[in-house]
Amino acid sequence: MNAKYKWLLIILLGFTACNTEEDLSRTPVVEPLPELTTGTADFSNYVALGASFTAGYTDNALFKASQENSFPNIIAKEFAKVGGGTFTQPLMNDNYGGLAAGGNRITDPRLVFGGAGPVSLESVIGPVTVSTDIVLNNPTGTFNNLGVPGAKSFHLLANGYGNIANFPAAANPYAIRLTGSSPNASILELAMAQNPTFFTLSEIGGNDVLGYATSGGDGSNPITDSPTFDFAFNTLVTTLTSGGAKGVVTNVPYITDLPHFTTVPYSPLDPSNSSFGPLIPTLNGIFGQLNNVFAYLQSVGAITNAEERSIVFSTTAASAVVIKDETLTDISAQIAGVLSASPEFAGLLQSFGLPTDPVTVGTVAALFGASYGQSRQATANDLLVLPSMSVIGTVNTTAMQALMGYGLSQQLAAQFSTEGVTLPLEDKWVLIPSEQAEIKAATDAYNATIASVASSNPNVALVDLNSILDKAATTGLVSDNFTLTTSLVTGGAVSLDGIHLTARGYAYMADKFLEAIDAAFGSNFVESGNVANIGDYPTNYSPLLQ
Amino acid sequence: MKTILPILLLFFCGLANAQTTITGTVVDDSSQPLPGANIIIVGTSTGTVTDFDGNFTLKTNLNPPFALQASIIGFETVTEQITKDNQTVNFVLTEGTSLDEVVISASRTPERIFESPVTVERLGLKEIKNTASVDFYDGLENLKGVDVNTNSLTFKSVNTRGFATFANNRFMQLVDGMDNSTPALNFPIGNLVGMIETDVQSVELLPGASSALYGANAFNGILFMRSKNPFDHHGISAYYKQGITSQQAAGDNPYTDFGIRAAYKFSNKFAAKVNFGYLKGTDWAANSRVDKNSNGGTRETNINYNGVNVYGDVVATNIRSKAPLAYKSLVPDVSVSRTGYDEADLTDYNAESIKADWGLYYRPFENDFEISYVGKAGTGSTIYQGSNRYHIDGFFQEQHKLEIRNNNFFLRGYVVGDKAGKSYDMVATAIQINRAWKSDTQWFGDYIGTYVQSTLGGATDAQAHAAARAVAESGRFLPGTPEFNAAYNKSINDPNLITGSKFQDASKYYHADGNYNFSHLIDWAEIQVGGSYRKYKLNSSGTIYTDTPENGPIDYSEYGIYTQIQKPIELNDALSLKLTGSIRYDKSEFFDGFFSPRLSAGLTINKNHNIRASVQTGFRNPTTQDLFIGLDTGAYVLMGSAPDNLNRYSRPYNISDAGQALGQPSTITQTGAAAYTNSYSRRSVEQLAATGDPSVLKVANPGLVKPEQVTSAEVGYRGKFKNLIVDFSAYYNKYKDFISQGYVIAPLYGTAGDNSLSVAAVANEDYQVYGTYTNAEADVKSYGASIGLSTKVFGNFDLSGSYTFAKLDFDQAKYPDFVTNFNTPEHKFKASFGNTELFKNFGFNVSYRFSDDYYWEATFGDGVIPEYHVVDAQINLTVPSMKSMFKLGATNLTGKEYTTAFGTGYIGSMYYVSWTINNL
Repeated sequence: MNAKYKWLLIILLGFTACNTEEDLSRTPVVEPLPELTTGTADFSNYVALGASFTAGYTDNALFKASQENSFPNIIAKEFAKVGGGTFTQPLMNDNYGGLAAGGNRITDPRLVFGGAGPVSLESVIGPVTVSTDIVLNNPTGTFNNLGVPGAKSFHLLANGYGNIANFPAAANPYAIRLTGSSPNASILELAMAQNPTFFTLSEIGGNDVLGYATSGGDGSNPITDSPTFDFAFNTLVTTLTSGGAKGVVTNVPYITDLPHFTTVPYSPLDPSNSSFGPLIPTLNGIFGQLNNVFAYLQSVGAITNAEERSIVFSTTAASAVVIKDETLTDISAQIAGVLSASPEFAGLLQSFGLPTDPVTVGTVAALFGASYGQSRQATANDLLVLPSMSVIGTVNTTAMQALMGYGLSQQLAAQFSTEGVTLPLEDKWVLIPSEQAEIKAATDAYNATIASVASSNPNVALVDLNSILDKAATTGLVSDNFTLTTSLVTGGAVSLDGIHLTARGYAYMADKFLEAIDAAFGSNFVESGNVANIGDYPTNYSPLLQ
Repeated sequence: MKTILPILLLFFCGLANAQTTITGTVVDDSSQPLPGANIIIVGTSTGTVTDFDGNFTLKTNLNPPFALQASIIGFETVTEQITKDNQTVNFVLTEGTSLDEVVISASRTPERIFESPVTVERLGLKEIKNTASVDFYDGLENLKGVDVNTNSLTFKSVNTRGFATFANNRFMQLVDGMDNSTPALNFPIGNLVGMIETDVQSVELLPGASSALYGANAFNGILFMRSKNPFDHHGISAYYKQGITSQQAAGDNPYTDFGIRAAYKFSNKFAAKVNFGYLKGTDWAANSRVDKNSNGGTRETNINYNGVNVYGDVVATNIRSKAPLAYKSLVPDVSVSRTGYDEADLTDYNAESIKADWGLYYRPFENDFEISYVGKAGTGSTIYQGSNRYHIDGFFQEQHKLEIRNNNFFLRGYVVGDKAGKSYDMVATAIQINRAWKSDTQWFGDYIGTYVQSTLGGATDAQAHAAARAVAESGRFLPGTPEFNAAYNKSINDPNLITGSKFQDASKYYHADGNYNFSHLIDWAEIQVGGSYRKYKLNSSGTIYTDTPENGPIDYSEYGIYTQIQKPIELNDALSLKLTGSIRYDKSEFFDGFFSPRLSAGLTINKNHNIRASVQTGFRNPTTQDLFIGLDTGAYVLMGSAPDNLNRYSRPYNISDAGQALGQPSTITQTGAAAYTNSYSRRSVEQLAATGDPSVLKVANPGLVKPEQVTSAEVGYRGKFKNLIVDFSAYYNKYKDFISQGYVIAPLYGTAGDNSLSVAAVANEDYQVYGTYTNAEADVKSYGASIGLSTKVFGNFDLSGSYTFAKLDFDQAKYPDFVTNFNTPEHKFKASFGNTELFKNFGFNVSYRFSDDYYWEATFGDGVIPEYHVVDAQINLTVPSMKSMFKLGATNLTGKEYTTAFGTGYIGSMYYVSWTINNL
C-alpha cells in the first residue's frame, strides 16, 4: 500500500471512545460507605441487662416474635459483623404471650389492633392456652438477654428474685425463667457469670417510677427513693465494668409523655352521646345544689375553692370527668351538714321518690358528702391512665350496691354510681399534678446520678432516652423516611399497651445505642450503614401470628 | 481549470424561427457515457439532458453558429461550437473534484465550494446514487460535522454544531426555498414533507449561523434541498425499494418505499411535474425499562419506578403527604408511582409516509424569467419524541408556493399548514387509561389505606408496600382486554387534555421573501438585497398552545431585511481575495429588532488553496412553543412565556387536608403566571425534601423569554495536493441569552420567599411543577473543528474520511439547573470507500461512522448515549438497456443496535434492494 494512505488506515482502526460512559453520566455518584470498624470496644460477649424494653416486651406481653425484635437482639446482629458472638435469649414458648404457672394463667396474652384500638388477642381469635409456664417449661442455659419485665433498679441485685419458691411475693416470673440451676442468683450475678466484654444496662429506673404512675399514684406501688436507686445503679455499673467491659446505659424518660398517660382526654364526656346527653339537665340540677353548698361554704370562709370544686356539664361541648383529688381538704361533713338542713335537698330526694324524714335526708346528705368531699372536675393538667378509658361512664357496681343498701332504687343507684360522672374517678385512674411532680422529681434525681456515673466512667456511654421520648412526643423521631410519634396505635413508636415500644420503636432505639457506641468507643456503625432500617421492623403483630 | 457557471452566463438573446437539430454523446475521459449531463445552448434556456447511454438530441429555433455547453456535477464543463444543422458533437468531460461543485446557499449566489466564504457541505446526484444509506436524507449522516438524530424510521432530525433535541429549532430546512418546519411544532420534520429521491437535484448544508442571510432560525445550521426543474429534467423516473428492518425489540419487518416523478416540458414556455412517494415500514420499537428514578430500579424493586418507555408511571405522589393526618406516622415519607404500560401497548409502530408534490412552471419569454406554482402535501404516521413520545398518526402538512424569478431576483410567497390528524401523546394516553379505570385519588387512597391496614396487621414496610400495590392494582385494565381498548380509544380520540390525549392542530404560517442581485447592473461588486415576512396563526384548540376555543387562534408576525456585498479582488496572478459583508435586520412583534452582520474573507492562493475567515452573529426568536405553549405533560406543565400567554392557562387544583387545615379552600385555581412570578426552583425543592431545611429553597421567578444570540467566528482551509483534497474548518460560538427550559415549582398558596405559607404549600405538595422558557444568564460557548480528506486510491477507488470535534464550554457546576441540550459527541469519525465503476456497470460503496459517547438531555429524559460504530454498504449494477440501476444495500451491517438519543428505540439494521429507473 502506498505509504501516504497509511495514516488514513490508522485513523480508521484507531477510533474508540476517548472517555468512558461513566465519565459522562450525571447520575449522582453514590459514595461507597466506609468499611465497618470496631473501635476500642470488644463486642465478642455481649450481655443485655434491663427490664421490659430489654426483654422485648410489647403489646402488654412478651412473645417469641417480640423477643426476636428486642433492641439488644437487633444490636447483636450488628455486633456479629465485628466479632460479636451468638446472642441467646430466653425465648417464650409461643407468640400469644402471657404466662402460666403450673397450668394456671398468671398474665394475659398480648394485645392486638382490633380495628379501632387495642383489644385482647382472645377477643379476636378466641380463647387460647398460654403455653409458657414458669413451672413446667423454663428454658435452660445462659442468656445474653437478661431483661426482666417489671424489674426495678434494686431488683437486679436481689438474690432470690428469680427463685420460684419466692413467687409471687418476692420473685418475678420472667426472672424465674432466667435463673435455671442457680435459682437464687441475682440478675447481675447471672450477667457477671458470663464474663461479658460488653453490656447494655437499659431503662434502669423506669419501673421505679412507672409502677407508681400506672397505679395513678395511689400508693400501692411507690416510687423508689433516690438513695436506693443510686446504690443500685452504681453497683450495677461498677460491677459490670469491673472486668474491663464497656457498655451503654440509658437515662429515664418522663414516662408521663407515654400514650398510656396521654391518650385518654380529661374531658371525654360528649353531650352527643345518647346515654349521657339527655341526663345533663338532671345532673346539672343535682350538682347545682352541691355547687350552692360549695358557694355557701366559701361565703362562710370554710373553703376557698368553691369554683374549682363546682361541677357543671356543658350541653354543647365535651365536659371534663369528675375525679377524686386527695390533695383537696375533705369537706364531707360540711357538705352533709349543709345539705341535711336544706329544704331544697329534701325536695330533690322527694323527686327521686325517697322519704324526706330527717334520718333519710341525713343519710343521703352524708353519702353526698362522702362522694364529693374531695372531688372536682379534671383539668388539662390531670392525666388519665389508659385503662380508665374502659371505666369512664360505666356503673361501678360496688358503689351501686352500697347505694341500694340505703334504699335507692337500682336505677337511681346506678345513676349515682357512674364513673367519672356521678362517681368521682378513684385516685388510681388519675395522675394529678402533684403526683406528676413527684414522678418528675424522682426521674430528675435518677438522671442526675446516671449522668454523673456515665460522665465519670470512660467505659460507659449514655443513650439519652429522656430527650428521645421528649422528641417523639413533640416533633417526632425521623428515621428511614418514617416520623415516629407517641400516638397510641398510629404513632408507630409505642405499642398497643401505651408504654412499651413497637418493634419499629425498638429498632430506632437500637440505632440510638449504636450511635452512642460510635461516639464513645470509636466504632462507625452509623457511618458505615450497619444499623437497622426501621422500616424492616413492624409496628404491630398480626393476630394470626401464633 | 475553467468552470463556467451556465446560470450566470444566461442573458437575453433574439428569437429566431429556423429549426436546427444537434445530436451527440457525452462521455468521461475513460469513454464511459455520462447520463444526466446538462446540454445547453449558451445564452439561452434551451437545453436537454443526456440519456442513460450518454446520448442526446437537441432541437432549437436558433440558427448556427452558436455555442453548446455540456456540464455535469463533478466534471469540468466543456463548450463546443455548433456551425451547422444536424451536427454531431462528442463531448469528453474531465472529472473535477468535490471542491469544484457549485453551491448557491452560502452566498445566495452560485459559487464553487472551493471559494465559498463559509463552511458548506453538499450532497449531489452522484453521492445520492452511491450512498449506502437507505435513502438520500439518511445519507446526510455521512457528511462531515453532521449528526442525524433518529426519532423514528421516518423522522430524522439534523444536528449541526450542537444544541439540538428532536425539536431542533436552531436548525432550518428549506425545500425549494420553502421552510418546511411545521407550524405546530416550529421545527423541521425531516423528509416527511420533503422530496422524493428521483426529484432531488442537490442538497446543501451550511453548518453554523447564517442569520445574516436567512434570518431568525438559521442559527446553528440550514439545510437546502433543491428539486429538479422540469424544464431541465423531464420524463418519467421512479424508484422502488423493498427490504426489511431488523431490530431485536420489533423483529424483522418488511419495508417498502417507492416514488415516481413525472415531468413534462410542453414547450419552452411551459413545463410541469408531479411527484408521488409512498413508504411503509415498522418503526424502531422503544422498549427500555430502565428506571429514570433510581439506578438499576425495576417495577418490583422501586416503589417509585418510572421506566423510560413505560408510560403512566410518571404519576407519583408522596404517600405520607396524602395520608390522613392521624396515620402519617405509619406512612413513610416516600413517593410511590402508579403502574404504567409499555410503549408497545400504546402504538402499533406503523411507519408510513405518503407525499406528493406538483408544480407548474411558466417561462413567458423562454428565458430565465419563470413563474411557478408548487404545491406539496405529506401525510403519514411516525413517532416524535418531545417532552413525551407522541404517535403521530395521520399527520398532514401542506405547502403552496407562488414564485417569480429570474437569474437576478426572486419573489415568493407560501403558506404552510398542518393538521394533527389522529396524533396523540402516548404518555398521556397511558395516564388516561389508568385514570379511566381508577382516579389517582382513589388509587393512592387504596394504596395508602392498604399500607396502613397492612402495617397495623403486622407487615413490615416492604410487605406493606407490596400489599398496597396489589390492592391498588387489583382490577387494572390489562392490555388487549376490551376495557383497555375502550379506555385507549376514548383517550386518543379525546382532545381535552384533562381527560384525553389527542392532539388537535390546524396551525398555519404565511411567508414571503424576495431577493434582488444587482450584479448585472453594478460592476465593482456584487450586491444583493432581500427581505422576508412571516405571519403565524396558531390553532391547536388548546391541545398544545393556550389557543383554547374560548381564547381562539393566536396570531403574530415577524419580518426581516438584509443586504450583502461581495467583492473579488485580484491581488496578483497567484493571489485573489474575496470579501463578503452581509447584514440583516429582523423584527418580531414581541421583541426589539436585531441586526445580524456577517463579514468574511477568502484568500485563494495559486488556485489550489483557499483560506477563509468569517465572523457573524445570529439570533433566533423564541419559538411558538417557547411563547405560547400551555401543555400538561403529566410530570409538569409546559408554560410558554409570552406575556399574554400566562393567564390564558389556568387549572383548578385540589388542596391537601393539611393545606385545608391551614385555612386554605379545598380547591385553588392557579394560572400559568405563577410559574414566572411565584415559584421556587425545582432543584431547591428537591433539596428541601432531602434536608428538611426550608432555607435551601430558592425563589425562581424566571424572566420572560427573549431572543437568543450567537456570535460565531470561523476559519477554514480548502486545498488540493495532487489528488488529495483537504477541507478543514474550525469555529468558536458564543451564545448570549441562551433560551432554555427550566423547571419550577409554584406553590398553590403563599408567596415564594415568604418563609411560611409557601413553604407549607411545598411541604404539603400543594404545588404545580412547570417547565418554563427563559434565557440563561450563564455563558454558553462551544467550539469545534472538522477536517475532511478525500482522494483516489488504487486507481479509481474513492476514499474519504472526516473527523469532527465538538466541545461545549459551559460551567455546569455553577448553573446546575441549566440544560444546554448540547447533545453532541466530542469526537466523530466518518469514512467512505467505494468505486462507482469497479468493473463495467458495477459499483460499490462502504461507509463507516463512529460517534463518541455523549450525554443526551431533553425534556423526555437524560442519559448517556454510548459510542457506536456503524457500517453501511451497497453494491450496485447499472443496466443501460433498462435505463435502470439496481442497488443491494444494508445499513448497520454489524447488527449492533445503537441510539442517537435517550428514550428512542434502538436502531437496528436494514437490508434492501432498490430499482431506480431513469434517474438522470
